Amino acid sequence: MTNALNTEGMSLQIVHRRRWGAWLLGAATLIVVSTMILAAVRAQIMDLEVFYRYLFDGQIMRGAFNAVVLGTLALIISAIIGLMLALMRVSGNPILASVSAVYVYFFRGTPMLIQLLFWFNAFPIMFPDLYISIPFTDVVLIDQRMTTVITPFIAALAGLSLAEGAYMSEIIRGGIMAVDDGQRSAARALGMTHNQVLRKIVIPQAGRIIIPASGNQYIMLLKSTSLASAIGYLELLRITTDIYSANFRVVELLAVSAFWYLLMTAFATALQTTLEKLFPQR
Amino acid sequence: MIFMTNTSEKPTLPAVIANAVSKYFGSLQVLKNVSFTVQPGEVVALLGPSGAGKSTMLRCINHLEKIDGGQVSVHGELIGYQRQGDRLMEMSDKRISEQRTTVGMVFQSFNLFRHMTVLENIITAPMMVHKREKAEAIAQAHALLQKVGLPDKASFYPSQLSGGQQQRVAIARALAMEPEVLLLDEPTSALDPELSHEVIGTIKTLADEGRTMLITTHEMAIARGFSDRVIFMVDGEVAEDVPAKQFFESPQHERSRQFLAQMEN
Repeated sequence: MTNALNTEGMSLQIVHRRRWGAWLLGAATLIVVSTMILAAVRAQIMDLEVFYRYLFDGQIMRGAFNAVVLGTLALIISAIIGLMLALMRVSGNPILASVSAVYVYFFRGTPMLIQLLFWFNAFPIMFPDLYISIPFTDVVLIDQRMTTVITPFIAALAGLSLAEGAYMSEIIRGGIMAVDDGQRSAARALGMTHNQVLRKIVIPQAGRIIIPASGNQYIMLLKSTSLASAIGYLELLRITTDIYSANFRVVELLAVSAFWYLLMTAFATALQTTLEKLFPQR
Repeated sequence: MIFMTNTSEKPTLPAVIANAVSKYFGSLQVLKNVSFTVQPGEVVALLGPSGAGKSTMLRCINHLEKIDGGQVSVHGELIGYQRQGDRLMEMSDKRISEQRTTVGMVFQSFNLFRHMTVLENIITAPMMVHKREKAEAIAQAHALLQKVGLPDKASFYPSQLSGGQQQRVAIARALAMEPEVLLLDEPTSALDPELSHEVIGTIKTLADEGRTMLITTHEMAIARGFSDRVIFMVDGEVAEDVPAKQFFESPQHERSRQFLAQMEN
């Protein structure tokens, strides 16, 4: 009768079940990983000296800086585009909603690289001159060749922002729809106008909901700036490939750029974590 | 009770008039020519089985639901529409919002703004809509929290409060707009009996002050306890509209008798 209830008042020690299987699997994983690292070190896969030399190279750091500027500006612009598209989509007006849906379909449905190439190469062919004047007057604001206006930076920023705007609109729309309808009813019943409800109740609550997904998109964008290398913008990857095509230290230089992308990602992650702590889910 | 708050000489306009209100959800008619009148200072319990259209009727009074026929007016003012010739044109968002400030509403699920503290919940609308000074709004909020028995919860977030406390804050929030009519939509249905009790106490205080209230409820302590009148709805129609005492002592309708039998179980 070992399973009988202890009625003699003695205190028995409680031992929780140990998960030996998981620990065994963990040990096996550790062996595999360390074997791979050891093999890499033995094979001398890269020259660490060269790696360190280029890690804080002026050109490389300029490229990393350009990538952060491009990615961050694109995130801000895409958030604004995304908010407008999301509001159009939930407006209840069929025209606004369909325009928004078609935009999202197009910009989410074509590869970002194609969009970048389009803005840099195809757009100036379609519209060779940029001519903006104030209607009904002779005042000309801009009259230039499109190719001088669309620099690699402008094309990259436009391409990334417009494409990312489509993704952001879906994220923001999800956030708006996740706000309980009762919150809107309560605000309306208190006499707030449609815009006041949006500003004071819906956007703050939706904002909190979309932080994690937006952090994800920021990381994606920072890495997607490497696509701009295809149109000659001097961001990190372009500079890296330029250097290694001259000195053939491909492994070291790609490792250097990977390091900087990882650092950017760490920054974006930290930013996201800070925002989540600053605006806790209530 | 009925004319308690109106001692002046001028003839009193009814607080709420629903005149032949109808409402459709798609092809389903949820309100069928609903008519009733609520006098100032009256506490009216809107009873009926679920799906009878009680909540929808309540939401029509402050135009949270748009009506498809008839009229609703509060203190003589047509709600949500203005007459142009022989048509009723829906008003602008701004005008409707102004009208809503005269009608307070309390919801079954409290609907406190969850990203705001209790204090912010109460002061936001008075400051935004009534353009009240912040200090004044805060002073009023503290007085209201005192009144609903939660003087020390101003800096709490809704998620830190019990359901009963949240509902009392929601009542304070509605009162902060100084509405002429208070609509309470199943105010205790989301609460267990113990927490219901404190909310019922708060509502009773308001009734004793002579506030005009229209309450949908399944709670006997409200309907029988301190309502002046019962409007009993079935299938989107008013089946009975009688003094509360009469409804509970000698219900006229077969459905009323069934309903009361179930309620008392």
